[in-house]
Amino acid sequence: MNRRAMLLAASALTGLSRLPLGGGSAQAQAAQGDPIRPLVLLTRPQAAAPAAYQAAELIAQEWRKLGLQIELRPLPNQQMSQVVWYERQRWDFTMWQMVGRPERGDPDEMVYNLLHSANIATGYNFVGYNNPAYDRLAEAQRSEMDQARRQALVRQVQEVVNQDQPYAFLVHPVNLQAFNKQVFVESSAVNQAGLGIRNFWNWISLQPTGAQRDIIVNSTEPVKATNPFYVSGAPDSWVTDLVWDRLMRVGPDGLPQPWAAERVVQPDPLHIECTLRDGMAFHNGDPVTAEDVVFSFEAPGTGNESPMYRPFVQNIASVVATDPKTVRFTLKRPDAAFRIAVLAKLNIVQKKTWAPVLAEYQNRPENLESYVEERPIGSGPYRFVRSRVNEEVVLEANPNHWAKPKADRWIMRIITNTEATLGAFRRGEINVLADYFGDPDLVKEMAEANPRMIAVREEVDIGFQFVGMNLRRAPFSDAAFRRALSASVNREMMAGAAWNGQAVPANSMVSPALEAWHDAGIVGRVPGGNLDGAKRLLQEAGYRVVNGKLHYPAGVRETTTPFQ
Amino acid sequence: MKRFAGRIAHAAFVLWAVATLTFLLFRLMPGDPTLNFLSDSFSEEMRADLLESFGLDKPLPEQYLIYLGSLLQGDLGVSFLQKRPVLDILLAALPNTAALTITALVIAYAFGIIAGAFLAFARGTVTEGIAIPAALITRAAPEFWLGMLLLSWLSFAWGIFPSAGANVAGSEFTSEWARLTSADFLWHLILPALTLALYLQGLPLLLMRATMLEVLNDEFIVMARMKGLSRWAIVMRHAARNALLPVATAFALGLGSSFGGNVVIETVFSWPGLGRVLVSAVQGADYPLAQGAFIMIAAVLVLMNMVADLLYAWLDPRVSVGARR
Repeated sequence: MNRRAMLLAASALTGLSRLPLGGGSAQAQAAQGDPIRPLVLLTRPQAAAPAAYQAAELIAQEWRKLGLQIELRPLPNQQMSQVVWYERQRWDFTMWQMVGRPERGDPDEMVYNLLHSANIATGYNFVGYNNPAYDRLAEAQRSEMDQARRQALVRQVQEVVNQDQPYAFLVHPVNLQAFNKQVFVESSAVNQAGLGIRNFWNWISLQPTGAQRDIIVNSTEPVKATNPFYVSGAPDSWVTDLVWDRLMRVGPDGLPQPWAAERVVQPDPLHIECTLRDGMAFHNGDPVTAEDVVFSFEAPGTGNESPMYRPFVQNIASVVATDPKTVRFTLKRPDAAFRIAVLAKLNIVQKKTWAPVLAEYQNRPENLESYVEERPIGSGPYRFVRSRVNEEVVLEANPNHWAKPKADRWIMRIITNTEATLGAFRRGEINVLADYFGDPDLVKEMAEANPRMIAVREEVDIGFQFVGMNLRRAPFSDAAFRRALSASVNREMMAGAAWNGQAVPANSMVSPALEAWHDAGIVGRVPGGNLDGAKRLLQEAGYRVVNGKLHYPAGVRETTTPFQ
Repeated sequence: MKRFAGRIAHAAFVLWAVATLTFLLFRLMPGDPTLNFLSDSFSEEMRADLLESFGLDKPLPEQYLIYLGSLLQGDLGVSFLQKRPVLDILLAALPNTAALTITALVIAYAFGIIAGAFLAFARGTVTEGIAIPAALITRAAPEFWLGMLLLSWLSFAWGIFPSAGANVAGSEFTSEWARLTSADFLWHLILPALTLALYLQGLPLLLMRATMLEVLNDEFIVMARMKGLSRWAIVMRHAARNALLPVATAFALGLGSSFGGNVVIETVFSWPGLGRVLVSAVQGADYPLAQGAFIMIAAVLVLMNMVADLLYAWLDPRVSVGARR
């Protein structure tokens, strides 16, 4: 069903007669609590996030059928973040998203940081979800070193969330990307779970077919900084990924694998030993040593020099070079995600360059993030050539790297206009379409019209779109109410209508892209299941519809201040 | 001289007002730059660290004094997000904006002046009946729409011009000047400059035509006709020179305002100029960069205002004579 048909179907459903939820009889009226105040659903404006805005409209439409008064409140990005993050008592519910990143290949970031009660006050648990049983499971999966037992724990976590529904999960987007197979051997493209072809492995593997030997990839956002201790946005990290090596990398399967460390051994949960590869060198020719690696993990934790990376080294009790090739980490507490979240995230920098800079910046008001290397030096498979803000970043293949890229250069072009992006791809001005948020049908039609030129790749994203409900405020503090709201969301229709088919239904923070961790049946187990089920859940929990408005259970007063 | 000093003082006041307003404007907007860094590892401690590193932990009056003090020394600060001096970022984008603006204005005004002059002569003819609505339509049409039309025809459909950017991907040049004067750059410049010129030509055309209509009724034109001068000589040598005064002023002001007003064109053509720097700075609450961009744009506008004043006095000595009285 196409987008228009989906929307028509949705509109038609709105017109159907409303099923009674206890009716409007005098008997029901006597037994009910106060009417629920009008609820405000925050969303980004339609122009900024068309799919999410349309999804919000569809959701509001369904929730009105439950007798709720729903107002959509579009807010600019900054303002919405300000309200949701810093005014946690004030809002009712909000559209929100988690984006896919390589280190989210391990479920720990999503499981622990999003919903553990330790993060309620100022962390990412802005919905205020507080369930001691959940906390225990989230902590247990974090310290469980046995993969099978950890998988079981992560599945239990997902079921607890399914029962409590602190978020109404909506969809996991499906990334649509394409590349020019006249320029690159089609079979040389590498897909990464949850990310698609916009990944490190693809950039070193794409094999040119002829004279055009540059990978030219688009980005809708500019690269703001190229600094191993600072990342200001996703495109920044695509560049740092290639210029600096890490001890480990998140592999195409989403699991960590040795990289600059040829061997990673964990004799016990608190100790990890990494043995460096032979013959590694920085782009200036100097060898990469164990001392460089030790420095790379110590620097972010020194003072306030790297706010972005400091959280990732806080669990490291000590890091020492036990011999010229071996680095030993001692952790403060066991961390099953350490390999992905830390070893595959922190960049290996040259101590000779950065130690004096670190010493100097400790005596200055600015921190390490402000240090701009004219030509950043890493040891990664690509060397930095230049960056022109809002125009392009150019990297060249490092011929001395053990994983030397097949292409000669990697060029990221900043193209802000979606139509021009497609035009540039069709004309060969770019040869990998990696960052595309326009109409997916246009790309597919272009591929059909040019079957010898364009190869399309689709991949379910690690991230997800959801409605975050503020559990500090009634009626969202009632799990039964949240379950009912979630049940009434038609995720299939939303994926088709709002995301134009480029999404799959979601009911978990662990994406189906992460096969090892995802609970495969979770989408079908939303309590209540559908709109009728939602009405039943509300009825069972004591909510009643009187004169078209949903009322709290008997005896419950409306004391919450409406969002202004 | 006194008048010139007065103009300088006036310009300085305007720039101070712009600097103060932009300073307050961004700090009164909801949200702060730390919101750019929200992630699942974001903590209150990290926020405090970031605010400290941005200098936003200090009281507002102190921030303002530091800001004004730096401005007086020509220091626009360091971008919160890019971590580079604001002046460097702006100066890197300025040549692209200058090339686009000046090229478009020259095309628009050259065309507008000539077409306007002849349309004044063609008053009441079919040519005027077609040309004036055409000029008004292109003036009224949204820039992005004009840009997208030109892109879809001349780039996507016919493949004549590139779709985006200021140079072919990965082009190497020995210097910035070599880049700006390269055939590659000029090739990329044509479509955005043409779009902007189409948008801008309405004003000089209509202005020139209106002034010409006034001038053509003057006695010296009648005299020129009686002398049997050719139509071309009357228009270009006698009438146009006298009608140019307001157009020259509009050119100087247009140059000033277009520097900051190319946001749409720069976005449509992914042109790496000041407009896009400004947009991304505002979106990311990058206060120093946004303030710097506004001040630079305001400075160009103020400067062009002064140039317009001086130009007017030079072109028409009666203006300065009047001032002396």
